[in-house]
Amino acid sequence: MTMPAPNPEMTIGRQGHYAGAASRLVAFGADVGASWGLYTIGVALFDTFFHLVTRRTYSLTNHQILAIVILVVWEFLYYTYQWGVSGRTIGMAVFGLQVVTVEGARITMRQAALRTLGLALCIATLGIGFLGILYQRERRALDDLVAKTAVVYSWDARAARLRWMARTENPHQSAFPPRPSHVHPEERTAAP
Amino acid sequence: MSPNPIGSRMEQLAQSLAERIVPMIIDAIDINSIIEKVDINQVVQRVDVDEIVSKVDVEAIIDRVDIQKIIDRVDINKIVEGIDIDALVEQTELGSIIARSTTGIVTEILDVIRAQGVGLDDFTLRWANRLIGRGKKIADWPVGPPLCVPPKAAS
Repeated sequence: MTMPAPNPEMTIGRQGHYAGAASRLVAFGADVGASWGLYTIGVALFDTFFHLVTRRTYSLTNHQILAIVILVVWEFLYYTYQWGVSGRTIGMAVFGLQVVTVEGARITMRQAALRTLGLALCIATLGIGFLGILYQRERRALDDLVAKTAVVYSWDARAARLRWMARTENPHQSAFPPRPSHVHPEERTAAP
Repeated sequence: MSPNPIGSRMEQLAQSLAERIVPMIIDAIDINSIIEKVDINQVVQRVDVDEIVSKVDVEAIIDRVDIQKIIDRVDINKIVEGIDIDALVEQTELGSIIARSTTGIVTEILDVIRAQGVGLDDFTLRWANRLIGRGKKIADWPVGPPLCVPPKAAS
C-alpha cells in the first residue's frame, strides 16, 4: 500500500516556517495524553514495587495532595527536559514541530523551563494565552513570549518525498483515479 | 608553360635555384632562437578564441566521434572497484537517505498527517484573520525565524 504523496509546497516548502494553531493544538493534546499515560504507568509501577518490597499496600490515589504534587513535578520535567534536549516533545515530534529561539536557534534548558511555566500560565488563563498563535505576528503564544521562543515546522520532508518516490513505481502518476469528466447523459448513451 | 622561350628558361632557372637555396636558408635559421624571442602570451592574448570556437561546428565533430567504441574500451568494473563506496556513503547524505527511504508505512502516514496539519493551520489562520477583519495585512509578516527561513522569503 502506498499513501498519496503530500503536496511538496505543504511539506518541503514549509520547513522552518512558523507552525499554526491546529498542528500545535493536536500536538499538545497528544502530549497531554502521553504525559498522563506515562504518569499513570509510573504510579502503578510504584504501587506494585512498594507492595513487593514492604508487603503493604500503598496507593497514591489515596494521597491526593501528594499525587497532585508529583503530577505537577512530573509534567514540569516532561516538558522542560524534552524541550531542553531536543526542542520537541513526543507530540511535537509526531506532528513535525520544534521549539526554537526567536532567531531560529536551539533553545537552552533555561528557556525550556521558562516555556513550561508559560504553558502553565496559558492553561491558568483558560487558554487565552494560546490566542497569540492565531493573532501574534510570529504565531507566538504566551509561553513563547515568556521564554523568547517560537514554534516551527521541522521534519525531514525531503526524505519523506524521496521515500514516497522510492515506493511508487511511477512517481508522476497520481495516486488517485482520474476524475470522471462531466458528460451529458444523452451523449453518454449515444457513444458506442 | 610560358609562350616566350627565354621566359620559360628563366622560370626553370628560378625554380631550380629556389629548390636549392630555400633548404639552405631554412637550415641556417635557428628556429628555437626565434621562438624564444616571441612573446607567446602576447600572441595568445590577441587571438579571439570565442570567434574561433563560434566557427567550429561542434555538432559535426561529436557526430564523427564513435562514443560506443570509447565506452567499449573503458573497463567499468575496474573503475567501480577503485571507488570506496563506504567512504562515499559516509561523505554524502546517501546513507541517511537510503535508511529513511526504506522505513515503513507508519512514517508515510506521518508525512501525510503532517502535511494535512499544515493545510489545517492555513485554514485556521485564514478564518481567524477574517474574524477580526485583518484580511491581507499579514502578507508582509515573516514566515519564519531568520535562521530557519532565508531572508528573501522571510521579508
